[in-house]
Amino acid sequence: MNAVYLAYAYLRYHWARSLVLVSVAALILFVPLATQILLSTSQRALIARGEATPLLLGSRGSQLDLTMAALYFSDERPDPVTMHEVETIWDSGLGLPIPLHTAFASSGFRIVGTTLDYFDFRGLPLAQGRGLAVLGEAVIGAEVAQALGKGVGDTLVSSPENLFDLDGVYPLEMPIVGVLAPANSPDDAAIFVDIKTAWVIQGIGHGHEDVVTAADIASGSAALANAAVVQYQRITPENIDSFHFHGSQDGFPASAVIVVPNDTRAATILKGRYLDPDGTSQLIDPAEVMRGLVDRIFRIKTLLDLVTAIIALAALAAIGLALFLSYRLRASEIATAVKLGARRGMVLRLLAAETVTLLSLAGGIAVLGAAVISTNAEAWVGWLLALGA
Amino acid sequence: MFPRLIRTAAVAACLTLAGVATAQDRATVVAVNYPLQSFASHLLGPEAEVVYPVPDGVDPSFWRPAIADISLVQSADLILLSGAGFAGWVERVTLPRARVADTSRAYQDRFITTQTITHSHGAGGAHSHEGLASYTWLDPSLAIAQAEAVAAAITARDLAPAEDVAARLDTLRADLQALDAEARAALTAAQGVPLIATHPRYQYLARAYGLQIGALEWDAGAMPTGAELDALWKLAGETGAKVLLWEAEPPAEAIEAVTALGLHSVTFPPLAVPPGEAGFAGSFRQSVAALAAAVEKATAD
Repeated sequence: MNAVYLAYAYLRYHWARSLVLVSVAALILFVPLATQILLSTSQRALIARGEATPLLLGSRGSQLDLTMAALYFSDERPDPVTMHEVETIWDSGLGLPIPLHTAFASSGFRIVGTTLDYFDFRGLPLAQGRGLAVLGEAVIGAEVAQALGKGVGDTLVSSPENLFDLDGVYPLEMPIVGVLAPANSPDDAAIFVDIKTAWVIQGIGHGHEDVVTAADIASGSAALANAAVVQYQRITPENIDSFHFHGSQDGFPASAVIVVPNDTRAATILKGRYLDPDGTSQLIDPAEVMRGLVDRIFRIKTLLDLVTAIIALAALAAIGLALFLSYRLRASEIATAVKLGARRGMVLRLLAAETVTLLSLAGGIAVLGAAVISTNAEAWVGWLLALGA
Repeated sequence: MFPRLIRTAAVAACLTLAGVATAQDRATVVAVNYPLQSFASHLLGPEAEVVYPVPDGVDPSFWRPAIADISLVQSADLILLSGAGFAGWVERVTLPRARVADTSRAYQDRFITTQTITHSHGAGGAHSHEGLASYTWLDPSLAIAQAEAVAAAITARDLAPAEDVAARLDTLRADLQALDAEARAALTAAQGVPLIATHPRYQYLARAYGLQIGALEWDAGAMPTGAELDALWKLAGETGAKVLLWEAEPPAEAIEAVTALGLHSVTFPPLAVPPGEAGFAGSFRQSVAALAAAVEKATAD
C-alpha cells in the first residue's frame, strides 16, 4: 500500500513526464485495437450487404460491376437487362424480382429507379414525408438530404448523361416527397424513384400535348403529328395524364434485378436456369462476389498487422528505454532511499508500482477508446463505405 | 340479475372484440373494375375484403386517384389489374410489384388494337402509340381467363385455402361458360347485322359473337347534342344500322330523339362499374337478351 502511495505521489509530482508516458503507451495499445475493430466491422459490413441480397440478376459480364452497381449504386454501368427477365422470374413463381435502374444521377447522387418492394426488402423506414405514390416523385436517403440541404417539398433535377447527348435524355424535375431514416448503408446516398420515372428520364416514357382528337380515336384512324410536339420536363397534376410509355414494358431496361427466392430449393432451381454460358444474362450470388472482393482487399490486412506489430514493438522498446533511463537518472535518489534503510525489495516494489500504474492508466484509456470505436464502428464504417460508393 | 347482466355484457364485449380482430386479420384485395371485384369476391368468399376503390359515378378507365386512394391501394394484400390499357392511372402510380397481378397477361396475344398515332419530339425519331381495346371481359372466354388469373394470384399469395379457391373457380368457370353458350345462341341472329354503340366499348363482345359494331364518342347516359345526333344519323346511313347500344341508361328524351332517327335503343352496360343487384352474369344476360330482341325488331322493320 505504501509502495503504491509513494509511486502515485511520484507520478503526480512528475506529472508532465507521466502524462507523456501514459499517452504514448495508450496510443500504442489503442491504434492496433481500433484498426482491428474497424477492419473487422468493414469486413462484416461489406459481406453483410451481399448476404442481405440473396441473388442478383443482370446482363452477362463483370460480376463485380453488377454487384457494385446494384448493391452500392456505384458508377459502374453494367449492360441492362430487359423487364422481360423480371417477368420471367415472376412468372416462375420461384421468387420476387426487384428491378433496379441506376443509370442516372442528380447533384452527384445516384438515382435509383425501383419498385415499392425494395423499401420493404431493405427495411427502409421514412424519417419525413411519405413514400413514392405518383410518377415523377423522389424519396431521398438521409445523406442526400444532409449534403444537399433538401427535404420534403424541395425538388431535384436529373443530370443529363453527357453534354453531347442533348437530344437523348431530358432532365426531369422531381419533387421530394419523403426522406428516409439513416440506414448506415449505400441507401443513405441514393435518390429513389419509381422505375417508371427512371424510364421517363431515359425518354422511354414522356408526356406531351394531345396530337389527336377524340373523333380521331373513335374513327380508329392513324394520325401523324409534326416534330414540334412539346415534351414536358416536369410532371404536374395538370399534365400527368399525358404521360405514357412506348412499346411493351417487357422490353424496358433495368440495370440489375434483386431476386428474393421463396426458399433454398427455389434459389437452386433459379441458379440452374442461368448457367448457360451462351445466355445473355447471369444470376449471381452477391455474397460470394463480395467475399471474393473482401478476401482480396483484406490480404493487405496481414501486412498491416505485421507493420503494426513491428511499430508496437519499437514503441514498447522506446517506452522501456525511457523507463530505464529515468531509473538511471534516479540512481542518486534510489541510493538515498537505500541509505535511509529501504531494502532492495522495497525499491523494486516502488519502481514496479510506478510502472504498473502507468501501464494500467494507459491500458484503461486504450480500452475506453476501443469501446467508443466499437460502439460506433457500424455507423462510421457505414458512412465510410457509403462515402466510397 | 346483475351477475347475469355482467356476464352477458362480457360475452358481448368478447364477441365484439373478436369481430374487430377478425376484420383486422382479413386480407384486403383491390380490384380496378367491377368484373375483377366480382370474380375475386366469388373466389375469396369470406376470406378477404375486396375493395373497388373508384367512387360512384366515376368511370374507372379515367379515374385519377388521390394520394389517400393510392395509399389504400398500396397497402392492399393483392392489387388486381385488368391490363390491356384499362385504368391508365396504374401506369402513373407507384405500386408494389409483389402484390400486383395483371389478370390479362396470359392472353395479350388476343388484345384488339384500336388506334395508331405517330409523332416525334424535337429532333428525335418518330414513334407510334398503339391503343388497345380494354373491355376484355365482354368476351366470356377472356373473362374465364381473367378469373383463372385472379384465382392463381389469390392462391400464390395464400389469401384463401387453395382447395376452396379451386372449387369456387370451377363454379365460376361453369357459370361463365353457360353465359357464353347462352349469348352465342341468343346473338346468332345478330351476326352480320350492323349496330352502333355510343362509345367504343364492345370490341371484344363483337369479336366473340361475330357482331358489327360501329362506335361514337358520346358521354355515358347524357343527352346527345345536335351535332352528335347528326353524326349518328350519318353513321347509321353509312352502315345501315338500326340498333344503338347505350352504355348507360339515357334520358327518355335521348331515346325519343334516337327513335325519331329510326333506331332501336338498347342499354348494354359494359360492366366496368357495378351494375347493381343483377351482378356480372345477370346484367350480361339481360343485356344480351335486350340486344337480341332489338335486333329482331330491327330486322322485322
